[in-house]
Amino acid sequence: MWESFIEGFGMAMRLDTFAIMSVGLLLGMFVGALPGFTTVMAMAILLPLSFFLEPLIGIPFLLGVYKGGIYGGSIPAILVSMPGTGAAVATTFDGPALTKKGKARKALEMALFSSVFGDLSSDIVTILFIGPIAIVALMIGPPELAAVLFLALIVIAATSSGVFVKGLLMMVLGLFLGMIGQDPIGALSRFTFDIFPLRAGIPLLPMLIGVYALPEILFAIEKKSTGAIKQVVSSREGGRLTFQEFRESFRTICRSTVIGTGIGMVPGVGQVVAAFMGYAAAKDASKTPEEFGKGKLEGVAAAEAANNAVNGPTMVPLLTLGIPGDNITVILIGAFIAQGLRPGPQLMEEQGPLVFAILVAMVMANILFLIIGYFTIPLFAKVVMIRRSLLLPLTVVFAFAGSYVFRSSSFDLMVLVFFGAFGYLARKLSFSVTPMVMAFILGAELENSFGQTMALSQGHVLRYIFLERPITAVLLVATPFLTYLMWRRSMRLRHALEDRVASPDSLS
Amino acid sequence: MDPHNETNPTDRRSSWVMNFNTIFGVGFVVVSIVLFLIIPDQIAKPKIVFANSGNDLDASFFPQLVAGGFGILGVWLFFRSFSIDEVNEVRLIDWEAFTNIAVTLLAMAVFIPLLTRVGFVISGALVIAFLSTFFGNRNYLLTAVVNITVPVAIFYIFTKLLATYLPPFPIDTILTRLFIL
Repeated sequence: MWESFIEGFGMAMRLDTFAIMSVGLLLGMFVGALPGFTTVMAMAILLPLSFFLEPLIGIPFLLGVYKGGIYGGSIPAILVSMPGTGAAVATTFDGPALTKKGKARKALEMALFSSVFGDLSSDIVTILFIGPIAIVALMIGPPELAAVLFLALIVIAATSSGVFVKGLLMMVLGLFLGMIGQDPIGALSRFTFDIFPLRAGIPLLPMLIGVYALPEILFAIEKKSTGAIKQVVSSREGGRLTFQEFRESFRTICRSTVIGTGIGMVPGVGQVVAAFMGYAAAKDASKTPEEFGKGKLEGVAAAEAANNAVNGPTMVPLLTLGIPGDNITVILIGAFIAQGLRPGPQLMEEQGPLVFAILVAMVMANILFLIIGYFTIPLFAKVVMIRRSLLLPLTVVFAFAGSYVFRSSSFDLMVLVFFGAFGYLARKLSFSVTPMVMAFILGAELENSFGQTMALSQGHVLRYIFLERPITAVLLVATPFLTYLMWRRSMRLRHALEDRVASPDSLS
Repeated sequence: MDPHNETNPTDRRSSWVMNFNTIFGVGFVVVSIVLFLIIPDQIAKPKIVFANSGNDLDASFFPQLVAGGFGILGVWLFFRSFSIDEVNEVRLIDWEAFTNIAVTLLAMAVFIPLLTRVGFVISGALVIAFLSTFFGNRNYLLTAVVNITVPVAIFYIFTKLLATYLPPFPIDTILTRLFIL
């Protein structure tokens, strides 16, 4: 594993990788800074660009978009009290108040430094964790893989939406959609309804762009834009952040980093909850809690360190087991698959250096992020003013181009529009699309490994599992308990978040 | 299963009314039945079987599991729906939102045939011009500049930089034909 890391480190030290990551960071910050445009949307729209680049260029590009997008959301949150992304909602508690006090620049710099610290620390933890987990992952065979995939799907269904059964139904729907085309064992056609393009199955890329990007556009256009934000307080206003001010918030940043890293390991919870929990913990631990919500730099630091610290740990299950933990990693797995790489134990075994190169690139992205962010804060502060009425049609056109180029098929565009409308209605009806997309991606692998287990068991599946595959047996027995525990934990976090949002006094 | 989404037990009697989740519960049961009915027709049979051990997974096994899953979970959602306190946000879509969404989806639907017939750049420019005007942009000079530059930039990023295919300008096609002739 150490050799893989050293080799991966060398692979990541490429000028073109750094250059494309910088482009990704800039694009991510641009989209994040636009109120109403989310990081997931940016990644979904820009995903096709990564398909046609080699893995060490395309995937770091998306990672750059991811990191830049999460930070970019804090810019409008601080300047105009409009969170660019959901992850930046907690930043609006203190950011705008600081802007009113003439400390916009300090707030933006605090957001940048705490974001970079949180993200960098969690990435290093990820690198330390991924080795031992990968060693365990390498020991698993088809029965264990089937059990792990089953567990992962159930857990995501349980944690991604408020009502467990609706998550499960979306998961089953995803499994069904994944079956359309050819079965993974005998290559027999299934559910094609004599529609020729369906013989190759539902294309992943238009589906991803459809369910993650188009609904955002449809939500944004429900009310016609009233134009750009007319007045933005200058981001240059006020002095720069001093080392003393950063040091005063350092304990808070460290605490939020630990919280964000922990939450990142729980599938389906994400940055929003992490930011709120980080903020609440900072307020609880503060000697002057009454100052929170009235323009305290520590409040910005707490939220931003926590939401960025989620980024690293979500990569652990993705890279070691091939299981995406949230909608961002679902898009990343799409990028891996399009590159011909299947995240999971085999990838760690066969392409270990590449995996470590990607992780090293994540760390390096933070350093680039610090430099680029520091010098471009005034520029991105102006992005807040761009008209949505012009940007939304551009996003539509880019989504169409990205969906078309993969197979040059009009059918893919129909799939894009269909899943766009579907994703919009699903969100309106409180059905989470993430279990569906995850089941769509992992369904074939689950069926394949289950089929291999059947063949290995020679017709006696239960006897084989319980007598010869103890890990599989333990995983299957533990699935309901683990699901319940994860469900309870995610519900507690969600309800704590809802309670705090419902009673702002507890936060500010 | 979710205590916070459940209504107060004292209010339970009044909440035993059908809601959108109840309808979805029934809908998923119907989907389950339909799937069971179409599985024999929609799954191809192997024409030649080489050395089948009898332990291989049948291509209809997972579809049957999924169909069963829809049925069981549909029944679960049906009964669970009476205690779910969720708002059907589709019913909250007002006329303005409905019009905006319908027009946008229609523009997207028109964009599909347009893209292949008149090329990406022209169809893209038309869609941007229409949608941006519809969304309230009245800066026509800016729109014109964006209309020309953005589709051309996207076209060249994908076709030249990434070496992929997008339907070209019609003039390109015409020139190519003339050149070949």
